[in-house]
Amino acid sequence: MSAAGNTTVSSAGNTSLNAKYKSKLNMDSALIALMLSLLYGVQLFLVYSVFSATKPVLLEFSGLVPVYLLFVGLMFFIETVGCLKVRQSIKQHMHEFRYYD
Amino acid sequence: MAESNSDASHAGGLVKTLRPYHVWALGVGIVLVGEYMGWNFTIAKGGVLGSLFAMLVAGTMYTIISLCASELGSATKLAGGPYDWARLFVGPGAAAIVGLAVYMEFIALEAADAIVVAFIATEIFPQLQVFPVTLLVIALLTFINYRGVVGALTLNFALTMLAFFAIITFFFATAFGVVETHPGYLLEGAMPNGLIGLFAALQFGPWFFLGIEGAAMCAEECKHPSRAVPLGQQAGMITLLVGAAMTIFLCSMLIPTDTLGVSVYPLFEAAQNGGIFIFIALLGLGTFLTCIASANGCVCDASRSWYALSRDEYVSPWFAAVHPKYSTPYRAVIFTAPIAVAFAFSGYLDQVITFSIISGLLCYVLIPFSLIRFRKLFPASTSKVRPFAGPLQPYIAYFAIGIALLIMSTLFWGYKYNLLFGLLFYTIAYFYFSSKRKKSSGNEPIWSELGWPDPETAGSQHIKEVTGIECSR
Repeated sequence: MSAAGNTTVSSAGNTSLNAKYKSKLNMDSALIALMLSLLYGVQLFLVYSVFSATKPVLLEFSGLVPVYLLFVGLMFFIETVGCLKVRQSIKQHMHEFRYYD
Repeated sequence: MAESNSDASHAGGLVKTLRPYHVWALGVGIVLVGEYMGWNFTIAKGGVLGSLFAMLVAGTMYTIISLCASELGSATKLAGGPYDWARLFVGPGAAAIVGLAVYMEFIALEAADAIVVAFIATEIFPQLQVFPVTLLVIALLTFINYRGVVGALTLNFALTMLAFFAIITFFFATAFGVVETHPGYLLEGAMPNGLIGLFAALQFGPWFFLGIEGAAMCAEECKHPSRAVPLGQQAGMITLLVGAAMTIFLCSMLIPTDTLGVSVYPLFEAAQNGGIFIFIALLGLGTFLTCIASANGCVCDASRSWYALSRDEYVSPWFAAVHPKYSTPYRAVIFTAPIAVAFAFSGYLDQVITFSIISGLLCYVLIPFSLIRFRKLFPASTSKVRPFAGPLQPYIAYFAIGIALLIMSTLFWGYKYNLLFGLLFYTIAYFYFSSKRKKSSGNEPIWSELGWPDPETAGSQHIKEVTGIECSR
């Protein structure tokens, strides 16, 4: 095969590899997004259910609600930033370490 | 570019084939049993609000621990996990106690899981007896782990997925009104012991997540640890947070709190109270499978911790042999069996489990501390040293240490002597191993064998003076 032919094959191979990597990264990102959505939905549903059912007790101990909300917020924030960092790390190193070969 | 810099040094060592779902299966497989049983002691102490508080506080701590484990695991890529992190970044005394703590934590859990599996089996088939079934379970799981890590963790993936699927389907059916709920139970048992109960409940908060840090212990056997460990570990942590919230909702809506606080199989009991056969069958099966998955994961993690301790000659180097065909640390794997049997039939299983929790909490102080030291020694984030850098560090690591100490202090309510005995045991181990390692030669760090440059000069000199850290391979 000629040099031009080799270059064309190599270029087509690179394009196909890039498309594969992009698709696999998107799958990882979708997994992370799905998991986070489930986390927010279920945790908020639980907190809402418990708070609405135990309203009289929470009114008696009014200082408790902000403490619960603080930990919910902290957990969401740390987990979300952590997941974004995981995605960023995968994107940064996927070609270097050949994650999806 | 090959990802694992230690490929050459571990030629003929552990096989590198695991993927993110294996990491997930190892972490969630070990822990999910705590959501099927055990977590409900938070209800007994602090009611529904106490349980929610314990879950949120422990959940925040474990989220941070998971991020620390992701960063340290993907950086070091070593089988010892918390032990290796403490060995590299803190010192030999801390390494020894973390290695022992991890070993004790997982062996005790394996023994407890095997006994529960045997109890369930004898309830289904009354002609069976607990002792031989427990022995059979331990022997079978040891054999599976002896034959290969991929098979063991693929099995764990299937078992854990089924057990988690049972919780999810039951939750959505209940949330959408298929199962009749009793919101009045929540108010009746909101906070029976007041604010003291709320804090006392914290001591059982770790049940929801105890052992998730073990997911990173398969880093040395991962094909791409810098992707598999953070992705598998974080997916595992989110799974457990979701599972914990679903479990609290289901059980507190379907079981009166005074019964829930002392229930042996709370999720199964919730399904029974729901009265729909398919969920009773699913949750019954889930309880059984999750115990097997947990025991299976524990054999894997305990053996890796023992293997790492042996490889560095903290215990006999005889255990560091790798099977020529299956590429497993087979002697360390086989050695888990007699120890688990001894724990299971010691007659003090509740004490053993409490010791397991204390050991875990000690790790939750030393894992973030290892990360703080790692960041000080190697501040630059390069592909070689730190392929995954967790967020908001080292501030959240200090926060996690604070929560771990807070939870440990709540053990004074009811487990004062266990806590004192545990701390005394690990203090003696710390001084014994520190003194033993100082006398031995070869205590200079050899970072290049991890493919790393020398650490920052000031930090390097400091750690040598203080601890005589060893990096023996």
